[in-house]
Amino acid sequence: MGITGYVLKRLISLAITLLGVSVIVFLLVHLSPGDPIRIMLGEQARPEDVQRLTELYGFDEPLPVQYVRWMAAAVQGDLGDSIRSGTPVIELVAQRLPATIELAVVALILAVVIGIPLGVLAAVTRNSPIDLASMGLALVGVAAPNFWIGLILLSTVASNVGWIPAFGRGPGVVEAFGAGLTEFRWGPLLDAGRHLLLPSLAIGTSIMAIITRMTRSSLLEVLGLDYVRTARAKGVRRAVVTVRHALRNAILPVVTVVGLQFGFLLGGAIVTETVFAWPGIGRLIVDSIAQRDFPVVQGSILMLAVVFVFVNLLVDLSYGLINPRIRYD
Amino acid sequence: MTKFLAPLYALLLAGLLALGSAQAQSTLTIGTVAEASDLDPRITYDVYSYQRMYAIMEPLLIFDTDLSYQPRLATSWEFAEDGRSITFQLREGVEFHHGRPFTAEDVKYTFDWMLNPDNPAANPALYEDITNVEILDDTTVRFDLTGDNAFILNSIARLHIVPADLGENEDFGSAPVGTGPFVFESWARDDRMVLTANPDYWGGAPKVDRVEFRPIIEDTTRLIALESGEIDLYYGQPVRSELDNLEANDAIDVQRVDGLGHQYVAFNTEHPELGDARVRQAISHLIPREGIVERILEGVGSVGTGPIAPSSVYFEPEAETYPYDPERAAELLEEAGVDQLSVRLHTNENPVRPLMAEILQFEAQQIGVEIEIIVEEFGAFIDRLLDSTDYDLFLIGWSGNVDPNYAMYELFHSTGGSNFTAYGNPELDALLDEGRRLPPGSEESIATYKEAQRVLMDDAPFAFINHSEEVALSRASVEGWEAHPYSSATFANLHLVEITD
Repeated sequence: MGITGYVLKRLISLAITLLGVSVIVFLLVHLSPGDPIRIMLGEQARPEDVQRLTELYGFDEPLPVQYVRWMAAAVQGDLGDSIRSGTPVIELVAQRLPATIELAVVALILAVVIGIPLGVLAAVTRNSPIDLASMGLALVGVAAPNFWIGLILLSTVASNVGWIPAFGRGPGVVEAFGAGLTEFRWGPLLDAGRHLLLPSLAIGTSIMAIITRMTRSSLLEVLGLDYVRTARAKGVRRAVVTVRHALRNAILPVVTVVGLQFGFLLGGAIVTETVFAWPGIGRLIVDSIAQRDFPVVQGSILMLAVVFVFVNLLVDLSYGLINPRIRYD
Repeated sequence: MTKFLAPLYALLLAGLLALGSAQAQSTLTIGTVAEASDLDPRITYDVYSYQRMYAIMEPLLIFDTDLSYQPRLATSWEFAEDGRSITFQLREGVEFHHGRPFTAEDVKYTFDWMLNPDNPAANPALYEDITNVEILDDTTVRFDLTGDNAFILNSIARLHIVPADLGENEDFGSAPVGTGPFVFESWARDDRMVLTANPDYWGGAPKVDRVEFRPIIEDTTRLIALESGEIDLYYGQPVRSELDNLEANDAIDVQRVDGLGHQYVAFNTEHPELGDARVRQAISHLIPREGIVERILEGVGSVGTGPIAPSSVYFEPEAETYPYDPERAAELLEEAGVDQLSVRLHTNENPVRPLMAEILQFEAQQIGVEIEIIVEEFGAFIDRLLDSTDYDLFLIGWSGNVDPNYAMYELFHSTGGSNFTAYGNPELDALLDEGRRLPPGSEESIATYKEAQRVLMDDAPFAFINHSEEVALSRASVEGWEAHPYSSATFANLHLVEITD
């Protein structure tokens, strides 16, 4: 089976996964206590108003009927409207998802750019003070929760360094980059960058730590293999062997981790988004849960799931690029 | 090397220029604890939405910081002799932000909308005493009343006037138009809401060019943003443990005023033991209120005495307050013939409430009363109260008590919409009904509500824990902002606020 067949097979299983996600999200939202209409109308609502609006939004119908109606619209790209604001859910998600993805991508880039070299360094200087220091750092990074790192960064960096903001998002990175390329205005990109610095560090640290440890252990394993010794024996310099021969093979498990972590970054950024008042999809979901805005909760989580499974698919496909011996079947 | 560095320097310079030009306009940045849910005053009831609306829209009248009335879109008003109608003189020469003059039509439109049962009006009970809104001429409106609620003016003071020609727009709640000092410009939810000064505001042009509302949920982040000057005003619970530092900080102004809310433990009076007032009184005697205010609330707030704040003219100092007294509590339980009691206490995730509950739990244990604490998410907690009677004790708060009717009727009248204790006392019902008919502020009215507080506190359906306190933080460079006891109206006078250097 070629790559087309493989992708097709994956797409089918992906659709089944998403269907499962939709059922779970729908049930969790509808079976948890808390009535959106009650929350909307306030403490002094009249029972007849509650009744009328419940019927208007169709919440009085059996759950299977509500689910089928929601899914039927969803597959046509209509995730319904927010109960609170009347805005189409797809619009709300489209406003927020870029902020979350931007944060996740920058955090991931930071994690990779710092994590891989640190892991390589630790591996080649195995058991040296450098190795111990990087592993110690990685241990702290894995153990410390994101929001705690966020709060520490806030109270140490943001409150002392004037140009680093404590909260909020600057202009979108993509637009800001566009402005720089087309109009040579780099101010917006600079502004975007200083807003991204602390939150991306806060959520990137734990992944950086994981990447460092993965790179180290994976590289150590490969460095002990015969072909590495052969290359060295042929007189290839150590640095070249490490980076060009060994790292290329050692990187595969790291790529898997990076891909999986990207998904967790999307969902796991919720608390960090709250700490830094980052207007991402995490806060949209949390606010919507508090208000029992069912369509928004369902729609946003479903969209996150879509991004998650597609990223995983891309990661799987990228294996072939890194190691051409891998076959898709 | 220089070749490589040149673009970097250019980048930095451009950034500095961009920052510089942004400051040419004066912007007042307000950090608040929550995002608004919607800006349509007819369907919204949360404090955070109302705070923003006050900068854009106006009611006929508002509460001043001493809770007296301050005229806004009405210049004067008069009740009919029989209390069955009230006539408003409207302000002339006021224009909505889209350029149309404000008239009596808009007032009628707004209130008619609230009274129409087909509309999803928030808190419609507040307005059910209005039977009809009659336009007498362009600047005179008469509200016909049932006469059953002498405090109706306070309800009217809560509702912003919506322009009749735009009120049916579907996006009114996300792009509102009003007559207020600031014009709505843009809103990116959870990021910022931008308002610009209305130079033609009838009360005088605002002293800042722009206002930005930034929702920052995390108290620590908001405080750091205030200290580093990223925001000018701070709204929301202060980080209590930081209050002393803030009061010593010259760059920050701290204002503190008594609030209009309280927190309490309520009793389900249908519970076999809790139905006995002596058992409720006993539990009330177990709350170390001074300690709770001092340690848990870090001094923000005061000891709870009843439903009405001690600063109000309606406050009754003679009513029973149940100070901390475990021995008296044990006696009361014995008198009631209760030697073993095991109850549940429900509350929500609000950071201080589980702590208060644990203190009560400990104290109760000392005299053999077992309390199981159940902390729920707010929506689930409210649902439990609204839809079931499956609770024994619950710990929650009540706010916005601008008058004794609001503070007592819904909670304690046997027909009250928020009476979750199933408590009812015909004597108290009669007093609360009587209070609604008497002219507010009159001697008879004050005497009636004082009597009502004595009856209520003897029955003890609630054990009051603390009265609230509003704390307002701002940069020292901000002038003209006054802390408001009625939190919804915190930003009602934003046109008077200026930023000095």
